[in-house]
Amino acid sequence: MLSAAASAIPRLRCAAPPRQASSRTQWSLLWRRPLSSSPNVAPAAAAASGPGALEPPDLPRLAKSARISLSPQEAEEFAPKIQQVVDCSLELALYDIENKPEREGLRKKDNSLMNYLHTAVGSSLREDKAEPFANRDAIIEALPSYDDPYIKVPRVLNSE
Amino acid sequence: MALTLLRGIRTQTLLKANAGLFWTTQLSPLACFTTRVEGVQTIEPKTVPKSIQRATKQAAEQKMQGFEAVIGIETHVQLSTITKAFCSCPYDFGSQPNSTVCPTCMGHPGTLPVLNAKVVECAVKVALALNCEISMTSKFDRKQYFYPDLPKGYQISQFDIPIADKGYLDLDLPVEFGGGHRRFGVTRVHMEEDAGKLLHSESGNYSQVDLNRVGVPLLEIVSEPDMRTGIEAAEYGAEIQRLVRYLGVGNGNMQEGSLRCDVNVSVRPIGQTEFGTKVEIKNMNSFNEISRAIDYEIYRQIHLHKESQADQIVQETRLWDESSQKTFTMRKKEGLADYRYFPEPDLAEVVLTSEYVDEIRNSLPELPEAKRRRYENMGLSMQDVIFLANDDNVAHFFDSTLEHGADAKLAANWIMGDMTAYLKDEKLLINESKLTPLELSEMIASIKNGTISGKIAKEILVELIAKGGTVKSVIEEKDLIQIADPAAIEAMVQKVLAENPKQLEQYRAGKTKLQGYFTGQAMKASKGKASPVLLNKILGEKLKGN
Repeated sequence: MLSAAASAIPRLRCAAPPRQASSRTQWSLLWRRPLSSSPNVAPAAAAASGPGALEPPDLPRLAKSARISLSPQEAEEFAPKIQQVVDCSLELALYDIENKPEREGLRKKDNSLMNYLHTAVGSSLREDKAEPFANRDAIIEALPSYDDPYIKVPRVLNSE
Repeated sequence: MALTLLRGIRTQTLLKANAGLFWTTQLSPLACFTTRVEGVQTIEPKTVPKSIQRATKQAAEQKMQGFEAVIGIETHVQLSTITKAFCSCPYDFGSQPNSTVCPTCMGHPGTLPVLNAKVVECAVKVALALNCEISMTSKFDRKQYFYPDLPKGYQISQFDIPIADKGYLDLDLPVEFGGGHRRFGVTRVHMEEDAGKLLHSESGNYSQVDLNRVGVPLLEIVSEPDMRTGIEAAEYGAEIQRLVRYLGVGNGNMQEGSLRCDVNVSVRPIGQTEFGTKVEIKNMNSFNEISRAIDYEIYRQIHLHKESQADQIVQETRLWDESSQKTFTMRKKEGLADYRYFPEPDLAEVVLTSEYVDEIRNSLPELPEAKRRRYENMGLSMQDVIFLANDDNVAHFFDSTLEHGADAKLAANWIMGDMTAYLKDEKLLINESKLTPLELSEMIASIKNGTISGKIAKEILVELIAKGGTVKSVIEEKDLIQIADPAAIEAMVQKVLAENPKQLEQYRAGKTKLQGYFTGQAMKASKGKASPVLLNKILGEKLKGN
């Protein structure tokens, strides 16, 4: 029952651009190649031969962790895509951001690039002041299954 | 009455020393864990003889049959912030389901979490109170799990760099459980968000979800595996509850789920240094149940060891079932790797300054442990000390009474005795009483200077708790001033003796126990206002025929 909706999730996750891409344009600096070209990327192979070598993604296990049922055909279809994501992170790990003079500005306050980004957009903390979300109706409207006042989901007790 | 109950059951436990596996379920409720005013006020320190304590301990040791339990606790403390941890939704327990939600806590795409500054403040307060080392830089991580109570598919938590670690918690065990001071290690304290609530319908093929609680800030406090008995574990939990209430960071209410304790229990033969296989137990709604669940689990595991079935002890999560007083397998534990932790890219590191931490340190109130040590140094008994420091409102009332000049022991007696009993009957909290600490100290002073008797004071106390006012006005209004005029008392005594010639004759014939009868009659005649000391003195003289 879940499979139809759930099988769309990996596709969405893979295809979605990074959230709030506009405020994070700096991230694109790290992405030297588009995802699609990653099968030709050497770092993955280099990393795979090192001590921290990663097993190829185990699709049936991943699907089980995410409570998604995948047909063998779907598993075959997704395996290379997931592998691309893994390769991409391996490439990021190899990218030297510590010793690049041109990035000095990014590190002037913190060593962390992320911290710089957050600081750049203002304080990272919020005052404890309530602002109830005004358009709750729209949220409820968007629920796939609602049984006032509860959200209705497939029975989960003893599902294992 | 509580005393009788405790003693009765204690004795029963002794008699049943070898009665079987589930003996601890017979233990009395741990009255003092329930906090507020329903504590152990009627138990006087001397009423739990050392011999009983020792025998109880021995009986417990016998039960362990050469094994030792190792217990660690993970406590989740819900913080009473106005808004959630990462969005501005207000949170109120008991709101209409799914009413306090927004795109961020519902996990809608394109939303970003923004950390509530109050959460950091509460975390630092608790960390300091637990004597932890504070990480001046910590970060958030994503803990992946897929369940309908978590719309994002991951929980924002802290993994490898928690906000604080390496702390400890000091506490005093209740006297009726053998007493003693304990220090339990605190491994770490970290910030995270709560998940929603799931309701499983009995019949239907669906479950219901309420996401109001999603994103509510929690502190997870992980203890070292330092506890050895259910009582120790329950007391650790109770001390955490006291701490969060003293600090004002949470209400610590277990029934509402604002304080949740998951315990890890393993047993090993005494002398073995490696830990046995640990089992996690959840679903305890009170400290009393924590104690019972742990004791059940300890004996279940020892039993399996004894039956050479130790291989049946597996790493798993078990649920405590209150009605059957047993634990049941819920699920086999998922390994650490299954959570696929990784740093939360949407949140900056939490960077603290030493000024910030110092400011919070200086603003901390006196904590339960410090209060107990202070009360102990006043010469109060451990029973009194534990009772008074148990509830910050009671402690505050007691401290204010002392500030108005009252004697510590007398104030403690009045608060723990008559006042607590009355409040309990009326189901009131001490801060709902109309009696002020100033008036309590006035009342104690009035007894001391002979204006009123202790008996009259009891009446005044009830009047003041219920209606308020001053001791002076109640005394005047009700004409309760103690009769301290020897002549007036003598006249009353003479009258009573004259009205009871028979009893007087019996008394003079040697039935001296009748003095109590005459005291009662004379007191009655004075409407309770005669000074008891003077009355007894004069009555004694007159009875002897002087």
